[in-house]
Amino acid sequence: MNVLVWSAFIALMVPLQSVLLPHVKIAGVTPDIALVAACLAGLLGGELHGLLVGLTLGWVMSLFSAIDPVVAMGVKGAVGYAAGFAGRHVVYLSWPMLMLGIFFLSCSAGSVTASLLTLNGRQDLWWAIRAVVLPQGVLDALVGGALYWVARSRFNVEHWLAEYRM
Amino acid sequence: MRMVNFRAPYNTGRLVILLAVVLLVGFLLLPAQFQGLFQRAGSPVGWIVSWPLRAVAGVSDGIADLWAGYVALRTVEAENRELRKELEYLKGQNSQLREAAAATDRLAALLDFKQQIGGTTIAAQVIGRDTGNWYRTIILNKGETDGLRPDMGVVTPAGVVGRIVKTTSATSVVLLVTDPNNAIAGLVQRTRDEGIVEGTSSGSARLKYIPMLSDARPGDRVVTSGLVGGFPKGLALGTITAIHKEDEGLFLSAELVPEVDGERVEEVLVIQSLAVPGEGERLGAPKVKKS
Repeated sequence: MNVLVWSAFIALMVPLQSVLLPHVKIAGVTPDIALVAACLAGLLGGELHGLLVGLTLGWVMSLFSAIDPVVAMGVKGAVGYAAGFAGRHVVYLSWPMLMLGIFFLSCSAGSVTASLLTLNGRQDLWWAIRAVVLPQGVLDALVGGALYWVARSRFNVEHWLAEYRM
Repeated sequence: MRMVNFRAPYNTGRLVILLAVVLLVGFLLLPAQFQGLFQRAGSPVGWIVSWPLRAVAGVSDGIADLWAGYVALRTVEAENRELRKELEYLKGQNSQLREAAAATDRLAALLDFKQQIGGTTIAAQVIGRDTGNWYRTIILNKGETDGLRPDMGVVTPAGVVGRIVKTTSATSVVLLVTDPNNAIAGLVQRTRDEGIVEGTSSGSARLKYIPMLSDARPGDRVVTSGLVGGFPKGLALGTITAIHKEDEGLFLSAELVPEVDGERVEEVLVIQSLAVPGEGERLGAPKVKKS
């Protein structure tokens, strides 16, 4: 059942990211909803959860992008794992802290991706950081913060966090 | 001898009526100038009577206005609501018809272009954009089961859109001309100088490796050279806006405004296989009808 729910969730992420979010571009950049989802899955479900969701989302999203699937899976899987690891060591997760964490993870993931892309010599690293990495980090943090705020107001998030820490 | 009985009331009445009729007929038989007598005699009477008449008429009109302006507005309001609803419906229908007409025009142009381009082409619709921010791509609603493969060229009647880089069974990812990772062989239509068209970070394109002695200038059109597979010769790529000399280089480069705006394209043709041109056709470019 859990697998079915996650599969449906991941399948819904693709149209959300490729069809709806391009309409709400800010400064030519859309939030990476898959990265945010991997972060939240890691934070609320633990390292393994984050890693698996990140890997799966990275792979599925790469099918609808020109990005190399290995890079996408690696980056999102690492983000999910890092979020899970960070979540385990945080006693109380406030939403500003969460936004800061997502911003940091998004910027790290973006920088790694930009570095890998600049290897072909057709992208300027500093341009990529200025035009894509930082705006996307801000957008991801905002979207993640909003989603966490909604989740916290409707569900017992502390219970989920305590559950996987045991 | 029998006397006339004037006391009988019914006889008096008859007599009065008879008199009145005789007088009326008599007046009618009189010349016209005598007929205005009644009118002239009645004028002051009419003036006196006109005051209450106007007063009552005024009240009546007021009531009528009140009725028409407020009470009867209840029906007008309902009618207005109905008309507004109908207007909204017609507006929506008009918009749908305009959209259908625009789609018909686009598809007709696409069909016309398909016949001009020759070879085997597959029409597809754009259903999404890249899932990340690193590449400029569009997602098509056709994939491997429809015969689409990586490296196939994607065009519209206006010009080149890009090249397929990935396929699934039902979708394809097209890397746009404006992506820095794309490279298409092009030539300046007027001077016939060849080069490579690449995308730029800013979302435009540039033609690289133009010979130093080239006469290319802003306003010149750049078309596909047909040297590299995927595109036939002569499809529009863009228009030159500026020429630069590369630092310490042996070539010139030109900034281009792409002919097709990949962000707005809705229907495309995927070139599955190119027609083998005849001897006469080989020298000329296909006629590209700009939409």
